[in-house]
Amino acid sequence: MRLFSGQSAWLLQRLSAILVLLLLLLGIVNLLAAPPGYDAWRALATSTHGAVLIIVGFIAVAVHAWIGTRDVVLDYVHVPALRIAILAVVGTLLLGVLTRVALTVATALAAA
Amino acid sequence: MRFRIYRFDPQTDQRPRMQDYDFTPGHHDRMLLDALIGLKRIDPGLSFRRSCREGVCGSDAMNINGRNGLACIHPLKDLREPVVLRPLPGFPVVRDLIVDMTQFFAHYHAIRPYLINDELPPERERLQSPAQRDKLDGLYECILCACCSGFCPSYWWNPDKFIGPAGLLQAYRFIADSRDKATSERLAFLDDVYRLYRCRSIMNCTEVCPKKLSPSHAIERIRSAMVRDSS
Amino acid sequence: MALQAEVDRPAPPRKAPHFLTLWKIRFPIGAIASIGHRLSGLVLLVLLPPAALALDASLRNRQSFDALFAGLHAPWTALLVLAGVWAVSHHLLAGIRHLLMDAGVGWRLAQARATAWVATLAPPIIAVTAAVVWSLR
Repeated sequence: MRLFSGQSAWLLQRLSAILVLLLLLLGIVNLLAAPPGYDAWRALATSTHGAVLIIVGFIAVAVHAWIGTRDVVLDYVHVPALRIAILAVVGTLLLGVLTRVALTVATALAAA
Repeated sequence: MRFRIYRFDPQTDQRPRMQDYDFTPGHHDRMLLDALIGLKRIDPGLSFRRSCREGVCGSDAMNINGRNGLACIHPLKDLREPVVLRPLPGFPVVRDLIVDMTQFFAHYHAIRPYLINDELPPERERLQSPAQRDKLDGLYECILCACCSGFCPSYWWNPDKFIGPAGLLQAYRFIADSRDKATSERLAFLDDVYRLYRCRSIMNCTEVCPKKLSPSHAIERIRSAMVRDSS
Repeated sequence: MALQAEVDRPAPPRKAPHFLTLWKIRFPIGAIASIGHRLSGLVLLVLLPPAALALDASLRNRQSFDALFAGLHAPWTALLVLAGVWAVSHHLLAGIRHLLMDAGVGWRLAQARATAWVATLAPPIIAVTAAVVWSLR
């Protein structure tokens, strides 16, 4: 945990939050502007800006979620073994989410 | 008036209990502390700290009807009955309403609450402009009563590692002081995932400070100073 | 003398009690907004893997896209919308409140209380509205 000293973790959490906020707004604007249906959605998601938005968005959410989870664990969990266990599970989960999203977008781009 | 007071005698009690009292305040009994002193005449075993009786020493900090405050400046007429009195939350109870303040003062000592300036001392004072002196307003007035730290959830969960709002407010009092030359060292000491950064800006501290200070704002100022210092 | 015996008696080696009965403590609105921020964050963490899976289903092919949206007509999804929309809106509003305070806006007690009320009351209203609209469509 020494990896992220107090200030760097706090700053990163704020920066990832702002990024998620911006990308969420952009995402909603794009979705509302596009016509409904599979074709329009797929075209949006496989466009350059769409794919980048999705991937960067999920990375930002994962970073933010990791720092947030660590804060919760540091507050309530004082047993080191339990702490490491919980963080390991959540870390793996987040990496799994990112892998899943990367594969989804890559597959969609390849098929486009 | 009806009172429910937290009682614990380490010599005789296995666990704490709440005791009910009925007390008729006298003509001159205005504040909660007056009632407590009156109650102690009835029940001499009832224990609490007190000194100045005017809200400047910080001795009689306690949890009054669910919120922390100083007993000596709480008017009796403003209190909902039964008046429920408990010790400061999260602090080890010594006896009844008296808590162990050792950890609290250890954090205060840890932030080095004194001016650090190794420059050659001037003929008379280290001068400070009025504008520089104004920066200490809202910081120097802290009476270390612990109402804030005793109401901070982050301090409850990690009282040994998180400095707490009182300690951090005092830390900022010296960071903000133009005469102090150890700003970078002070900030480096606080840059820790526990010492400063357990604070979640819940603002419970500012809600209960009897001197109307804002530890949450002071902590924000420390974070800004840290960002400035590192860039 | 009895009093001397009282003084000489060693203190029992017991761990000191602490008063931490949370429901006996009267929390200000800021604390409610704050714990809501933490809870909503945890809810969003739990919803993240399903969100990734839903993204995949929506992009894999037309059949899975249709299946996904057909599945969303089930009645229990209204509860999901309720929880999800509450979590997103509370975490967003409370988060924006934090960012504003970091920037020096709304740190004074009166302002902080006002924004805390908004961050706490608006999300359930938004969530209930969304759930009702969702189940009526």
